Amino acid sequence: MDEFSIFLQIIFWGLYAGCIYILLATGLNLIFGVMKVVNFAHGEFLMIGAYITATVFFLTGFNPFVILLLSMVVLVGIGAVVERLCFRPILGTGKLNEIFLSIGLIYIFQNGAAMIWGDAWQSVKSPYESMTVPIGPLSVPLDYIIIMVVTAAILCGLFLFLKKTTIGMQMRATSQNRKGAMLVGIDVERIDVISFGLGCALAAAAGTLWVVSGQVFNPYMGSIPAVKAFAIIILGGLGSIPGAIIGGLLMGLAENGAAFLLGGIWKDAVSFIILIVVLIIRPTGLFGGKEG
Amino acid sequence: MKYSVLVIVVLLIAAAFIAGCSQPASTQQTPAASQDVVRVGVIASLTGPASNVGTNMWQSAQVAAEKINAEGGVTLQDGKKAQITLIVGDDESTQAGGQKAATKLITDDKVDILVGGYSSAVTSAYEQTIAEYKVPYIVTGASSPIITHRTDIDTSYIFHHCPTTDTYGQYTTQFIDQVVRPAVNQKAGASSDRPFRLALLYQDTAFGKGIQTAVNDTITKNKLNIVLVSQQSFRMGESDFRTQLTAIKAEKPDALYLGAFPNEGAPAITQARRDIGLNTIFLSAENNDNAQFYKDVGQYGEGAIIESRFSPYTAPAGAVAADQDVFKQAYFARFGTYPDMMGASTYDGVFIAVKAIGNAGTTDKAAVRQALVDLKMPQVIEAMKDGTISFSSDYRESGFDLWMEQLSPDAQSGETRPAIVWPDNLKTTGFVLPSWYVAGSSS
Repeated sequence: MDEFSIFLQIIFWGLYAGCIYILLATGLNLIFGVMKVVNFAHGEFLMIGAYITATVFFLTGFNPFVILLLSMVVLVGIGAVVERLCFRPILGTGKLNEIFLSIGLIYIFQNGAAMIWGDAWQSVKSPYESMTVPIGPLSVPLDYIIIMVVTAAILCGLFLFLKKTTIGMQMRATSQNRKGAMLVGIDVERIDVISFGLGCALAAAAGTLWVVSGQVFNPYMGSIPAVKAFAIIILGGLGSIPGAIIGGLLMGLAENGAAFLLGGIWKDAVSFIILIVVLIIRPTGLFGGKEG
Repeated sequence: MKYSVLVIVVLLIAAAFIAGCSQPASTQQTPAASQDVVRVGVIASLTGPASNVGTNMWQSAQVAAEKINAEGGVTLQDGKKAQITLIVGDDESTQAGGQKAATKLITDDKVDILVGGYSSAVTSAYEQTIAEYKVPYIVTGASSPIITHRTDIDTSYIFHHCPTTDTYGQYTTQFIDQVVRPAVNQKAGASSDRPFRLALLYQDTAFGKGIQTAVNDTITKNKLNIVLVSQQSFRMGESDFRTQLTAIKAEKPDALYLGAFPNEGAPAITQARRDIGLNTIFLSAENNDNAQFYKDVGQYGEGAIIESRFSPYTAPAGAVAADQDVFKQAYFARFGTYPDMMGASTYDGVFIAVKAIGNAGTTDKAAVRQALVDLKMPQVIEAMKDGTISFSSDYRESGFDLWMEQLSPDAQSGETRPAIVWPDNLKTTGFVLPSWYVAGSSS
């Protein structure tokens, strides 16, 4: 394995990790952009998405990449319920309420998942795990190519939804100016529910791709990805979808580059070092507006 | 708005309830109609990331207690028989939880002796409490030598019945030198003095660093012909090792030693074989020898080596095989799964506690401590040095006979299953290099 191949390999693993981060952070940013709520329990939606995919896979043996759609649909429903029952009543009552509410939700979801599925680490075997694809000097497993294609497809779908559909335009309008949106007759509460559901569905997609890529999961898996997702949306700019995508990719590449060059213990730290540097130079993040 | 606030309150109460359901701070297992009881506290991780192992430890303790009580319990002074009562404290896989569990067991439940403790970081966090109240504690899960070697507190009431990371590293490195190195040189067609290229991938904790230190020390002290070509670390709980494995592969190792927990070791091997194409021998520490690891690693485990002292799927040639089987069957009959090695040492630990109390003839803690210091009892279900359980005079550590297992495909389960390949007095088969194995190279 020559140095160029190793470099390409590290870039490839960075892109793969970036896909998971992009989906998680985009969902979080979608919610924040529209509702301006801080939801620390977002990683738990990734965890539930992972468990739904795994459970359906274990029960039916269906292709987990197909189950991804089911997992996303279920999480839209769960997200809508959580928004309606938990976040809507406290909307506008202060960030402290949002923080404590989301911490409470973390415990509910983690312990609920532990009761339903148990505490043990689990894993799923992809139907394509033995297939590889030659890319230049590399031979990479087919699963990772599918993961990148699925991520790109979801982002394209989201882009078209936000640009071309009435609800998408209403979401953008609510995100830009909530009061203005209300004045022109947009039902912002309905938009909140849809945004929250969509954000959770993206987290479910991230969870499914996590599972399919051979990483283990348990009820407590969501905490660290959620923290990183927050770092990504701050890095990219709060409320900015392109910011979440670029931030996610940067995070994935930086983590893997640091793990290779400096050692695995720097993997998590380097993302936050970049975050601090970017915030010093540009406090609103890479793609953030003047108010962030 | 009032309705919504009510819903939130109900949800928060539900959260507390659910948390309470899955986090029993203290649960008792009381023998029926007993008047004289010996109270044995079991500290285990029933919730949190280590709950899989912790539950196994607690359930194994219950199997031991049931066997002891069924055989009449413990004999105290004047021949009086007492049944044992187990009381579990959940350390929640955290240092704060461990502190809480130990304090409650000692001050509220007033246990006579303690058994258990998993994760060196968690266990060491509440050793101060043990020292303060002077309660005999048989640690059966934490593997760092610091448990009894530390000098900042009084550890004289703490006894370590679990091999330490020092021992893991020594045994595994000696096995590499004596068995793997000659086999690799033969396969590579190299001279017998070709240095063996070993890589390390270890958890960045006392556990992982302990293994790293032990491997380095063993190579240096014994002047072994082994060169460490790569030493990579990772954060505890990591599940993506691809980049570190890419770096390791670039160094062309002959074998990779993983200082990892099962939830890290299984994906690391899978990713190495599947994603990186690192077709080498993977060596793991004993805590990976559990049913979940075999399930997670699947066929990718073929050829891998696990240093062990108790396995769900094999037993050494010799005396303990039958006793291990009785324990496994009793456990399976009760819980529908098989125990792991932390469960086995906790099972041993309850027997050791009862034997010490029996020898002391009392539950007086100083007397029980002295009985543990003087203890010499036959091995229970784990193979011990000279077949005897006793604690060393310096650090109060018991001496285990460890072995190395090699995994091979099992058509029936679709997974792999272990067979003991070293040392000679315990092995049931010989070590082989898999057909797909690729020896490392310095070129």
